[in-house]
Amino acid sequence: MMNRMRSFRTYGAIFRMRRRMETQYRGAVLGGVICQVFFGLVLIAVYRALYAGNPQHMALSAITTYVWLQQAFFRMLLASDPDLMEKIRTGAIAYDLCRPLSLYGYYYARILAQKWMGSLLRALPMILLAILLPPGWELAAPASWAAMGCAAAALLIGLCCVSAMENITMAFTMRTLDPRGVQAMMNLLMMTFSGNILPLTLFPDRWQRVITLMPYAQLLDAPIRLYTGEYALGEAGRILAIQAGWTVILIGIGAYLWRRNQRRLIIQGG
Amino acid sequence: MAFIEVENLNKQFIIRKKREKGQLMRPKEEISALREVSFQVNQGELVGYIGPNGAGKSTTVKILSGILTPDSGRASVDGLVPWADRKAHVRRIGVVFGQRSQLWWDVPIADSFALLKEIYHVPEAAYQARMGELTEALQLGDLMRTPLRLLSLGQRMRAELCGSLLHSPSLLFLDEPTIGLDAVSKLTLREFLQWENRQRGTTILLTTHDMEDITALCSRVMVLGHGRKLYDGELTELLARYDTERIITARYEEEISGTAWPEGCQVRRNGENWIITYAPEKIPTAEMMARMQQAGHLRECTVQPQNVDRLIARMYQEMEL
Repeated sequence: MMNRMRSFRTYGAIFRMRRRMETQYRGAVLGGVICQVFFGLVLIAVYRALYAGNPQHMALSAITTYVWLQQAFFRMLLASDPDLMEKIRTGAIAYDLCRPLSLYGYYYARILAQKWMGSLLRALPMILLAILLPPGWELAAPASWAAMGCAAAALLIGLCCVSAMENITMAFTMRTLDPRGVQAMMNLLMMTFSGNILPLTLFPDRWQRVITLMPYAQLLDAPIRLYTGEYALGEAGRILAIQAGWTVILIGIGAYLWRRNQRRLIIQGG
Repeated sequence: MAFIEVENLNKQFIIRKKREKGQLMRPKEEISALREVSFQVNQGELVGYIGPNGAGKSTTVKILSGILTPDSGRASVDGLVPWADRKAHVRRIGVVFGQRSQLWWDVPIADSFALLKEIYHVPEAAYQARMGELTEALQLGDLMRTPLRLLSLGQRMRAELCGSLLHSPSLLFLDEPTIGLDAVSKLTLREFLQWENRQRGTTILLTTHDMEDITALCSRVMVLGHGRKLYDGELTELLARYDTERIITARYEEEISGTAWPEGCQVRRNGENWIITYAPEKIPTAEMMARMQQAGHLRECTVQPQNVDRLIARMYQEMEL
């Protein structure tokens, strides 16, 4: 028990260190915000054009809200830790292997910190900005305070879930030594099925049943639908349970892959 | 039982080569990084581990630090099997890979140390005492608030050493710690290692290509080549085997020519200097000097031993490495 507490403190310290690194590059934050605001505006312009000709069953304000929240937390979905990639590629990972830690836990703490701080730094100014936009373009208020609370909880679970996914990609990178192949494929799946390109709410109803059960929908789609009220409060328990279930499964897979990796290691260079 | 026990260690790597025309699969090639390597190291020893590139030195270090699992053979460090009891084992060792960094690039080095303190669960009081000792010995006091990226290579290596030692390991692996350092930094580093070894009795296993590291620090060396252990013993004895030649550098008052140098010596000219390499066993130094005096008015001359790098190069050649 004592031991467990102490190692929890260790992973906490790693988390804080990585979180702090993320705050070092203000320029990257500014660049990211500008880029994501631009994407948000373009996407909304497209949906407005679509709605002008052929209104969908969802209110336009629900769509603009969906787009803004997706763009605000974009960093959570697509951003690999460049330091980790570099470590694997150059073999500096050798140092991490001779620490009295679980490699899975070590990297999980780092990924979580990077995604958390990276997206928070970008999301706060973007949300502020999006709230101030004129009607028809804006980020609308949450369905209710309770919905807001559920959405926040779902976002935290989504963060844990996406970090577990990323750690699986890392485990594969460790084998192939080059992340590009796996990443390109994962990114395509991620962009499509997380609702980043096209809100999942706009997919045909039959598709929805499958798509919303996939792990990608647990990252941002579930929290956003709770926020907008697309998922009623009564459903919140079920939604959070699906999210948590996927998170546990993905952590299990990742931890297994890392344990196997550790047994068959070849460190690059010397 | 010795502190480090290694018995018949074997490790092979499989390398997949490029597929040739007509081949369905990429052909495999097995490379033996270690073949039946055995040795023992006692607590408090400072052992040099040398051999040409690709000899298996780093593989040994990685196996002993619990990163790699050998194919066969036994090893224990202070009673623990590195790859089987990894977590317990790595708590008690420190590792420095000269070409890699363990500290965080963008934050002051003090903060990287604080994180390592958490990782190794070093108690606050012990940490303060140890850091006081290390910062003084490694002259890091003024650098503690500087981010790693702003440090010079020599400063960085000192910081890396501090990071590897702050949990007071009983065994330290150094993999080419002086690579790329200037003369002053090398000397500081060597002095520090000696201090750490004597003061705390830390056992040190040092791999390097810098023979001065070895001559300055280690009384015992192990030579590895093609994955086999070729020599294990006193450094002086090893050198004596190959140290059969002397070099004389001579200058004359006037231009000399047509000198009959003794059979079997090599003569080169470099400006005014005559550089003569000979084996005292075949041509006694007295005879050599007599011949040199006959040749003309000798202004000055020095007799030097072969430089250590040449000896090692000769040794590798003779061992066909």
